[in-house]
Amino acid sequence: MSKQIKFESYREMPIRPMTLDNMLWNETGSWRNVKPVYDNKVSPCILGCPAGENIQHYIQLVIDKKYKEAWETIIESNPMPAATGRVCSHPCMGKCTRGDYDEAVNINAIESALGDMGLDNPGWMRESEKAKKKKVAVIGSGPAGLSAAFYLARGGYSVTLYESEKALGGVLRWGIPEYRLPNCVLDRVIESILNSGPISVKAETVVGKDIKLKELEDSFDAVFIGVGLMESRKLGIPNEDCEGVESGLEYLKRVNSGDNLDSSKKTVVIGGGNTAMDVARSALRKGSDVTVVYRRTQAEMPAIASEIEEAEKEGVNFRFLAAPKEIVAEGGKLSKVIFQEMELGEPDESGRRRPVPLEGKTFTMEVGRLFTAIGEKADLDGFVPEIDTEWDLIKVSGEFGETNSKNIFAGGDIVTGAASVVEAVAAGRKAAEKIIRIFIGEADPPKQEETEFGIENINVDYFTKSNRTLKPRISVEEAKNGFEEIFRGFDEQLLQKEVDRCFSCGVCNYCDNCWVYCPDAAIVRKDDRYEIDYDYCKGCLVCVEECPRSALSIEEEGK
Amino acid sequence: MREARIPTEELMGSGHLACQGCGATIAMRFALKALGRETILVIPACCWAVIDGTFPHSAVDIPIFHTAFETAAVTASGVKAGLEMRGDFETTVVAWAGDGGTFDIGLQALSGTAERNDDIIYVCYDNEAYMNTGIQRSSSTPVGSWTTTTPVTNYKKRPKKNMVDIMAAHAIPYIATASVAYPEDLIRKFKKAKAIKGTKYIQVLAPCPTGWKLSPELSIWAARKAVTSKVYPMLEITENGNKLTVWKDFEPTSFKEYIKPQGRFRHLKENEIEEIAKGVESSWQRLLAREKMLASIPGLDT
Ligand SMILES: Cc1cc2nc3c(=O)[nH]c(=O)nc-3n(C[C@H](O)[C@H](O)[C@H](O)COP(=O)(O)OP(=O)(O)OC[C@H]3O[C@@H](n4cnc5c(N)ncnc54)[C@H](O)[C@@H]3O)c2cc1C
Ligand SMILES: Cc1ncc(C[n+]2csc(CCOP(=O)(O)OP(=O)(O)O)c2C)c(N)n1
Ligand code: SF4
Ligand code: SF4
Ligand code: SF4
Ligand code: SF4
Ligand SMILES: [Mg+2]
Repeated sequence: MSKQIKFESYREMPIRPMTLDNMLWNETGSWRNVKPVYDNKVSPCILGCPAGENIQHYIQLVIDKKYKEAWETIIESNPMPAATGRVCSHPCMGKCTRGDYDEAVNINAIESALGDMGLDNPGWMRESEKAKKKKVAVIGSGPAGLSAAFYLARGGYSVTLYESEKALGGVLRWGIPEYRLPNCVLDRVIESILNSGPISVKAETVVGKDIKLKELEDSFDAVFIGVGLMESRKLGIPNEDCEGVESGLEYLKRVNSGDNLDSSKKTVVIGGGNTAMDVARSALRKGSDVTVVYRRTQAEMPAIASEIEEAEKEGVNFRFLAAPKEIVAEGGKLSKVIFQEMELGEPDESGRRRPVPLEGKTFTMEVGRLFTAIGEKADLDGFVPEIDTEWDLIKVSGEFGETNSKNIFAGGDIVTGAASVVEAVAAGRKAAEKIIRIFIGEADPPKQEETEFGIENINVDYFTKSNRTLKPRISVEEAKNGFEEIFRGFDEQLLQKEVDRCFSCGVCNYCDNCWVYCPDAAIVRKDDRYEIDYDYCKGCLVCVEECPRSALSIEEEGK
Repeated sequence: MREARIPTEELMGSGHLACQGCGATIAMRFALKALGRETILVIPACCWAVIDGTFPHSAVDIPIFHTAFETAAVTASGVKAGLEMRGDFETTVVAWAGDGGTFDIGLQALSGTAERNDDIIYVCYDNEAYMNTGIQRSSSTPVGSWTTTTPVTNYKKRPKKNMVDIMAAHAIPYIATASVAYPEDLIRKFKKAKAIKGTKYIQVLAPCPTGWKLSPELSIWAARKAVTSKVYPMLEITENGNKLTVWKDFEPTSFKEYIKPQGRFRHLKENEIEEIAKGVESSWQRLLAREKMLASIPGLDT
């Protein structure tokens, strides 16, 4: 800083008025009554993702073409972006600020592109940490179990993964059909997880039958239960066990294991969730004429909206506000189904309007085959009474899946009831991280701050409207004739086009605006950040106003 | 970190005496980033004569010649001539005056310089009133505006003088308008002007939170909305006044939105606002028509 120059007499002064120094002696910071501060927020998409993927951050890395770093960022919270990128119901996009401007950023497609890059570059996976002594048993190889195994193994803890089936993956393997998640992709996803650290697999081993939970508890330092929901709920109506009536889950399992099923019959699927859609669309591909019967209306269907849309496009018929009342069998074989017509009544505890029968109104349908897809439930035989349950699910006490038994944790559908892949992934990771913290005696991290952020925090003058970039796809005609994957990944050009739409909500992305506009040249532009020189900042707040994304906040002076 | 959007050299430093959010200082900061160190400024009486600091200090790291209110252009001509006499043909001489010093009292001197086509850049940072002496009306003050000499009971009824047209009539090689909300564009125009010989006139919209009765953080906002509401068109006139290029590639916004946070327009009634907005639109249409007309005359722009 310069000094104030004092002349003792006129003789010391220059012969004509001229400048001898700059104005830095004049610390204009004292004029300020409010103070701008750099203050990154948590972007809403991150809060929307159950796994808490740092979406904003990896999108910025993609913009910089730092694909490996972007992939690593996802892997910190989700070990299977190639799978979730294909099947996740993407609640992140529901929270995306851009949705209140034009259309939400296609986060899911970006995730899937990065996931595929990770599979193509196995070298991107870092070595697991130095081997530790403690070991953990993981029961179930669905998304919850795989995720728990991954984060434990990555930390150097040896994991033994127990799975009752021959192949790993849980619902990803035998539930979700190949046209949504091809087996070859799933194989690579699982391979990458198994290669990430010391994981040994014990397939075709049913815990509770082939090996007791107690034994695992005794021989391992911790146990994680991620056994999902294995059984189909029954309709509870006459003749349900006759030939021609099958649980949708069983059917999907057979389709996914390559069984060549005949199917030219008239098929009815009961239910409105993802299972119903997958069963209907699989049967359609096997040549059936398919009708989905659901007891409420389309608005209440729990299936992912785009799945319903695709099913419709492919030619699946829908009959709403009807429920099967009785199955008519001839010679032990299904022949007709009598349906009860329904109407919507008062909302139930899920907030959806409850279906109530319309007195005396029924209709009959000739049906060749009936699939039930009204929900799945747990098979808890191997775990009770040792593990406490509630509502036929495993009861956990904390947010990390702690059960009543000290070293036993649980997560995924077996805890939440039918939920989603990403929630299972999140539960597996959280339990793994908790187990590691217990091993090393570390405290739980503080809870993530939930900042309010909306379109009003975006300076929309800096953006122009654009449509979401969609994944390329095969035509509906091509799609419905086989099990080929429908949606294709983004190439680099599409990927760059879509990441460019991200607002980077609440997080500085070095756009320079604050530094550019500061009337007092009080912002210093550093290599990796900006600094406000409070000796000179007058507190005009132009920087705060012109930040496109509210990465600066205001503090009152003297408080 | 990504490459900086504008040059990183700071020739205007902190510690200056401008009010919070002053658009005139932003204009100077950008202009000097474009022009570089080989520049001499000539500043007449105006806010900038004060902003720069107190003798013997200056917030600007290049020479400034302070001159009388009405003499910016001719003093710059003189400085340029003096430099050339000493064999310096490189240094850019910039007259930097307010709208009062340009549209009103300095007009005669500017006209003379332009007519002689003296090799200077004349910059009018336009804050649309005599701000330094306490917000008096100038001929740049827009119609409808309050100033201390046009109180709300008798707000300004005459339109802003079309200074750009006056300069175009002098057939000088380069005329441009700019706004502090568009730094890259402003810098491009200053660089362009620096490379051209003869008199260059650049009029920069520089919001004055104090005089506009505008919250200081909205200074850039206003500079942007002035452009997108067509109140302050961004244009360039080249080929000695024969070619007009108007920037049109923006999402239009409303006049009403532009004036809303500005206290200097607060007294306007709905019908008066509509009337003025109509005037804005017809000026814009006239400008576009002029652009087309000039382009349609064969051989004009060569
Ligand atoms: C048909 C269908 C489609 C779906 N589609 C989607 C979708 O598109 N998007 C989405 O997000 N969610 C979807 N879901 C929901 C999602 O698949 C589940 O929420 C998720 O798979 C739950 O993961 P999990 O790891 O808890 O259980 P699961 O995936 O069910 O895995 C549990 C694993 O544990 C094994 N296991 C069970 N008991 C034992 C035992 N005693 N010993 C050893 N191993 C055992 C099972 O064989 C299985 O492999 C769908 C569900 C179904 C049924
Ligand atoms: C001949 C003369 N008349 C009046 C003044 C007083 N005066 C100094 S600055 C100024 C206003 C300048 O207005 P403008 O040129 O628009 O610049 P601004 O202050 O708005 O930046 C006036 C009237 C003066 N210095 N000299
Ligand atoms: S715009 Fe980007 S940062 Fe903001 S919510 Fe959407 S994806 Fe996240
Ligand atoms: S723009 Fe500059 S002076 Fe104004 S508040 Fe921000 S840092 Fe301070
Ligand atoms: S204006 Fe740009 S550089 Fe400044 S904080 Fe906001 S995002 Fe970061
Ligand atoms: S009065 Fe206006 S132009 Fe003058 S220094 Fe203050 S803000 Fe800038
Ligand atoms: Mg002025």
